[in-house]
Amino acid sequence: MQAKLVVQGLTHHYPDEYTGEDVHALDNVSLEVEDGIFAAVVGPSGCGKTTLLNILAGLLPYREGHVKVDGVDVHGPGPDRGVVFQEHAILPWRSVARNIGHGLEIQGVPADERQRKVAEFVELVGLGGFEDRYPHELSGGMKQRVSLARTLCSNPIVMLMDEPFAAVDAQTRITLQEELNRIAIATRKTILFITHNVDEAAFLGDKCFIFTRRPGKLKATVKINIPRDRRIWKDLINDSEFTNHRDEILTLVREEVSTLGDD
Amino acid sequence: MSTIQELSIAVQRRFGRQRLRRIILGAIPFVTLAFLWYLNTANEWLPPVYIPPFASVWEAIFLLEEECMGFMDALTMGSGCMFTNHVFSSLGRVGLSLLIGLPLGIAFGVVAGMNRRIANALEPLGIFANSISGIAWLPLAIVWFGIGTATTIFILLNTIFWLVFFNTLLGVRSVPRVYENSVRTLGGSRWNVITQVYFPGALPSIVTGIRMSMGFGWRALIAAEMIGGDSGLGFMIFVSASEYKVEEVFLGVLVIALIWMFTDRTMLVPLEKWTIQRWGLVWRPS
Repeated sequence: MQAKLVVQGLTHHYPDEYTGEDVHALDNVSLEVEDGIFAAVVGPSGCGKTTLLNILAGLLPYREGHVKVDGVDVHGPGPDRGVVFQEHAILPWRSVARNIGHGLEIQGVPADERQRKVAEFVELVGLGGFEDRYPHELSGGMKQRVSLARTLCSNPIVMLMDEPFAAVDAQTRITLQEELNRIAIATRKTILFITHNVDEAAFLGDKCFIFTRRPGKLKATVKINIPRDRRIWKDLINDSEFTNHRDEILTLVREEVSTLGDD
Repeated sequence: MSTIQELSIAVQRRFGRQRLRRIILGAIPFVTLAFLWYLNTANEWLPPVYIPPFASVWEAIFLLEEECMGFMDALTMGSGCMFTNHVFSSLGRVGLSLLIGLPLGIAFGVVAGMNRRIANALEPLGIFANSISGIAWLPLAIVWFGIGTATTIFILLNTIFWLVFFNTLLGVRSVPRVYENSVRTLGGSRWNVITQVYFPGALPSIVTGIRMSMGFGWRALIAAEMIGGDSGLGFMIFVSASEYKVEEVFLGVLVIALIWMFTDRTMLVPLEKWTIQRWGLVWRPS
């Protein structure tokens, strides 16, 4: 069966915003994410992770290589790829419910059906009772739950997540990681998750793509076969299978960081 | 407990202590001025040709409305209702200019805010236009449009459009890019992005722009009516002054200020607060 998300020979250059110098962000990247697989992309900062996500999301045009979702070449943004951004990207002038239903609203889904769907995802992400609140009344973790529900509600083929838990505190992050795992089980979504946090990648990923430092190349792919229902921090923290995978990824990432030198 | 104390507590409960204090403090200068006015009338330090008594200012309304056939006549701007005609004439001009100027200013502001090139093309022109106060256009406007409504509307539009344009532009620019990206990845069109991201995001700034443009516009209008008008409160003041009817001048000035205060306090300030507070969009120095 063909993979849901296929990237072939993707190379990307862009001129630096300030100096105008050519930045070689991605070099001949090829990867595949099969149906229902949770793929984590790990790499040192500045390895082109975010560039990759922006290209996949259609926010950045690409010239060299191919990006296919369900076998179709994609250019430009579309509802087939849902994105959860790193920053708080939910609209402050929309209530929780209206943020979550935004994608359906854009698609022209009738109000009653929309309400039903929104209620379903409000429950899934554990935001019951907060439907009419505005984002400024929510904590950082809750905002990311809204963001996640909004993306899920449009039922994308592939979900792209750009370090969604980077801005929340450590305790909340652990909770959100477990919740995301639960949601991944419930929705069986195909997910590409970008992070610089090795623990997070090993905890969530079925498959981890490790990137080199710039220009970003795929350095290694680590498969993690721990069943999803066993992925609870309390159990995994001392699980040798998990720690072995984590250390393997950590070593691969640290090789990249150490070759950076002192600059 | 005395009745006065009880009353004071009741009033404080009704309005809130902080707010009451603010209202009272704000009223002190007005009360002082009114008292000085009263003293002047009583003692005639300055004769009535300079400072007319309040009673004759009040009477001026009825003198101006002498030939008015009642409420309906005033509303339909019958020729006898001189005072209300001037008021409606000024208000009508402001209303018409807002009706044209606001949508145009907002539309251009949103487009320029979203597009660097258009902004770069329009910004210098806007700064150029803003540097010339509305009134400086007046001689030219009179040459182009003659005395009357067209000239005053031109002056008003010139003030309203650029202020709303700039405030909208700044408001749109302050909207984080990630909002646009998130709506686009939800499948949103350019129009969705405009109506659901940039317009609401810029709304607090747009409302500030409306507030400013109405303040400046109202001032510009009065000045324009003095020189380039054939009716309106500014025109009324100017004609009355040339006829030495000081009480009509006083009346005109008071009404101009009261209309502005009323609009600002009852409509614009609440609107501004509502958009900012509801969305938690508080401007922080960054």
